[in-house]
Amino acid sequence: MSQSLKPYLTAVRHSLNAALCLENFSSQIVERHNYPEIENKKTTEVLLNPMMISRNEKERVLIEPSINSVRVSIKIKQSDEIESILVDKFTRFLNKRAETFLILRRVPIEGYDISFLITNFHNEDMLKNKLVDFIIEFMEDVDKEISEMKLFLNARARFVAEAYLSTFD
Amino acid sequence: MLLLQPENLLIQKTFSKALSEDYIPATLDRVITDFDFTAYHISTPSDKTGILLSVGIKCWADLIAHGTLELLESIYSKYSSFLQILSDGNAEPGYNYGLYLELGKVDLQNGEEIATLISDLSLLKRNCFAAPFLEAFGRYEVLAQEEPVDPNNIYGEDAPNNSKEPVIALGYRDNESIFIKPSNDRVTVIFSTIFNDETDKVFSKVFLQEFSDARKRSIQKAPQVINSHHDIPLEIQGLEKENSDNKKTYITFVLFPRHLSTDEVKWNSITQIETFRSYFHYHIKIVKCYLHQRMRFRVQSFTKILNRARRDVTEEELRSERKTASGRRFEQRT
Repeated sequence: MSQSLKPYLTAVRHSLNAALCLENFSSQIVERHNYPEIENKKTTEVLLNPMMISRNEKERVLIEPSINSVRVSIKIKQSDEIESILVDKFTRFLNKRAETFLILRRVPIEGYDISFLITNFHNEDMLKNKLVDFIIEFMEDVDKEISEMKLFLNARARFVAEAYLSTFD
Repeated sequence: MLLLQPENLLIQKTFSKALSEDYIPATLDRVITDFDFTAYHISTPSDKTGILLSVGIKCWADLIAHGTLELLESIYSKYSSFLQILSDGNAEPGYNYGLYLELGKVDLQNGEEIATLISDLSLLKRNCFAAPFLEAFGRYEVLAQEEPVDPNNIYGEDAPNNSKEPVIALGYRDNESIFIKPSNDRVTVIFSTIFNDETDKVFSKVFLQEFSDARKRSIQKAPQVINSHHDIPLEIQGLEKENSDNKKTYITFVLFPRHLSTDEVKWNSITQIETFRSYFHYHIKIVKCYLHQRMRFRVQSFTKILNRARRDVTEEELRSERKTASGRRFEQRT
């Protein structure tokens, strides 16, 4: 793990721990409704201050807490064209499987690659520390995976080119 | 399978079956497709022992302009006692060229000769495309004699007369072409290709970069590869008017005298060069496929991690008897 990654992840972990303090909260606007307050933002008194944690200009996390839900959006590092294609493919792949991912938001919020929406019901269903672990692990693995895929692409291209050109002799 | 095979496997199989000793003649009607919009039709038009192999190629008109018919004639005429060549008007409607094999008359003695016949038949597409290359190689030899390479020309600049040399163009696919240009010390082959998918285009840049670098790094004997994504190479600026929307990618292969020395080497160069486009596109698809698999695996492992977070409520806990403060039993309905 590189030098700047660890403090970044630690900061995200602590902020998430603090933000994931959720309780059931029925809508004050529509009777018998109960929805994530962070999504409709109509009851301003139950929204808390959003936090943005940046590692550098390309990587950042936005945590938007509210009384019964937290939205976590991640911007994954994309330093060139290939990485952005890989990230795009990967997040699309995940979004299509949002069903199995429970906390994954189908569409990331603007300016970010992937968003999670954790409600109090998820929090009741799952252990809080494990949820935080998941998000941290996800952030770590995605970076690793993207750079591995990029390396693989280059290695494969080299291998293919050499195999083809070595037939001329 | 890393390299693409120049021969057509289905043709090879069909004919090796037909020419084996225990073959029971049967009615055949097979349409086989190959790369670059090439179609074959294997049929038995009149009786079961006469097999007709027809081939249709998109850029047939370009090919015959550069001596394909003569080349095919020279390859297949040695089998003339049992193999009839059908060209021009005689070919099957919808196809450009045909070879009619009469099984009863095949008088080849040993297995080796039969194997050569089969491989000649299965290499029909390659042979069709070889003529323009051979023509360019022949032209190179003439030019090299007329104007020997100047040893002082260390920068490899093109000789002044070479720019007048006509460029052979083959429109082998819609909007994609092969250009061949002979000169006194090299033969330049330029491919233009289009990527419909934006991702493919980005991946192709990585691949082409490696193609260009491979020569510098390890394989000195290979032809030089130059790629340009938007600009039309100088050699073909007279032919290609504009690169609309910058969609086309140009890949230039420079074949040096080393690749044109003997007949065997020439044929090898032709065979390899022809499969380039298919090879290139094929490998981009493979990489995408692999990355997809990899992502699928990774997503699965993420799901596992998330599922670990679930609070597990054991069956026993659910079933165990619970009582309220006053001692009433409390059962959960499921």
